[in-house]
Amino acid sequence: MIDVLFETIIQVLGVILLSPLYVGILERIKALIEGRRGPSIFQPYFDLLKLSKKEMSIPRNAGWLFINGPFIVFSTYVLISFVIPVVYPKPVLLTPTVDFLGGGLLFSLAGFLKVYEAMESSSNLVTLGISRNLSFAYLSEATLLTVFIAVALVTGTNNPYVTMQFIQAPVEYLFLPHFLAMASFFMLWMFETGKLPLESSGMSELGMIDDSMLYEYSGKGLMLLKWGSYLKSYLLGSVLLNVFLIPWGMQTGVLGAVADLGIMFLKWLLLLFIVLVIETSLAKFRLFKVQDFLMVALVLSTLSIVLTVTLNG
Amino acid sequence: MDELSQEIILVISSLLPLTALYIQGQAYFVPAVKMIGIQSGVIASLAIFYYFLTGDPDLLILGGILIFTRVFLTPYILLRVIKYRTWDRERVKVLSSFLINVTFFLSITLVLLYAVLIRVIPEQYLVLLPLILFFQGMFLIASRKSTTAHILGYVELENSLVVMGIILIPPPLIIDATVFLDVLGLVVISSVIIVEKRDHEPEEELVG
Repeated sequence: MIDVLFETIIQVLGVILLSPLYVGILERIKALIEGRRGPSIFQPYFDLLKLSKKEMSIPRNAGWLFINGPFIVFSTYVLISFVIPVVYPKPVLLTPTVDFLGGGLLFSLAGFLKVYEAMESSSNLVTLGISRNLSFAYLSEATLLTVFIAVALVTGTNNPYVTMQFIQAPVEYLFLPHFLAMASFFMLWMFETGKLPLESSGMSELGMIDDSMLYEYSGKGLMLLKWGSYLKSYLLGSVLLNVFLIPWGMQTGVLGAVADLGIMFLKWLLLLFIVLVIETSLAKFRLFKVQDFLMVALVLSTLSIVLTVTLNG
Repeated sequence: MDELSQEIILVISSLLPLTALYIQGQAYFVPAVKMIGIQSGVIASLAIFYYFLTGDPDLLILGGILIFTRVFLTPYILLRVIKYRTWDRERVKVLSSFLINVTFFLSITLVLLYAVLIRVIPEQYLVLLPLILFFQGMFLIASRKSTTAHILGYVELENSLVVMGIILIPPPLIIDATVFLDVLGLVVISSVIIVEKRDHEPEEELVG
């Protein structure tokens, strides 16, 4: 029991504390490739610290959810870090509460809350951003569900930990529908974490999608929402790495859990390298191409389902 | 053939319809021609993988010839002779919704073909993907106006036949030689045709 407790603490603290680091590393390497010196890899931590010291200003018409929403969103992401194999390959405390689909629904809940609390600010600009966001979200949510259904069909289970074990066998890993689901989930992750080459995640771009919802936030609220975005990026990326891309190499036991943090770091470096190649080699595309991009992801996941059914008879 | 090898073959050959889909959705000539080279590279890797499975040296020779002729020579000569510039494109509006339709069409074809093939030739269902490539090649020819796209569609048809040859029958050396001569002929003829006449309008054929 004590071991499980330690493993849980390592997993959850690992997710909370290390998630901003990967964003910092990506920004730094991207800057170096573009010939700039770039910010420190710890810049996201400095930003969070700075925001935590600032006062939170609240619009006059803002409702209850505007003030408390960031805390709920952040807690939802922390809750997800209990239930999916993002650091440790065996179930930890609270894991049996939900399955893969439940994890997906928690992501959707956090997304819904972010939209709702931003609407509470009553700002025209934010509403504009939200309508843009939702015109893409209907495709991404559908893809998220079909990918999870595809994985469930391939592996015969909806438990992410069993899926991870199942996929480790070469025969199952090389199954074509698994590859299609992997490609689809990778595309979805690129969109969900704002890594498509149309959005530069700043406050000055018209093409931004996710950041447009944070316009009215400041201080601690902004800090929690930003940190929540880092958590979301880390959680989805780790699912991609552990359940789809590289399911091997994770260690068990309390010391194994500590080693897993390092193993995850190496896996993440590989993922960041892939993202870097895509981000720096592709030209920026128009905003409405996002729908096509997500549509292809949806088609790939649907194809994965169809192929699983046909190939398995 | 064990299950793992079959899955590897399926994964490699699934890249064929994907590359064909890219060419279908690509209005610019240079990337489309380059993608044909990549598609041929996929076929060459398939031939080489089959060599490791069967130990038949003909397959290795076929793989080598494919890499030499189709991966490098054909795209190189096409790009060199016709002197495409990067911004040269066909006067066609490639709508993404159209491409999505094609993708759905592809998936439905896949299911139908599989349902038929599993009954007709139960052991050889791997032939499904080159068959899809064959139809995609024909569709590319039918849906475009430029001669380049027609030639690329023709190369796709040939590619699909080579893959079917690799999967269905143990290839004798004559197939390798045919591929070699065929491509040489194809490159010469196609270059001449493209230089002579770049576009085809449907009504031209109807004028007496």
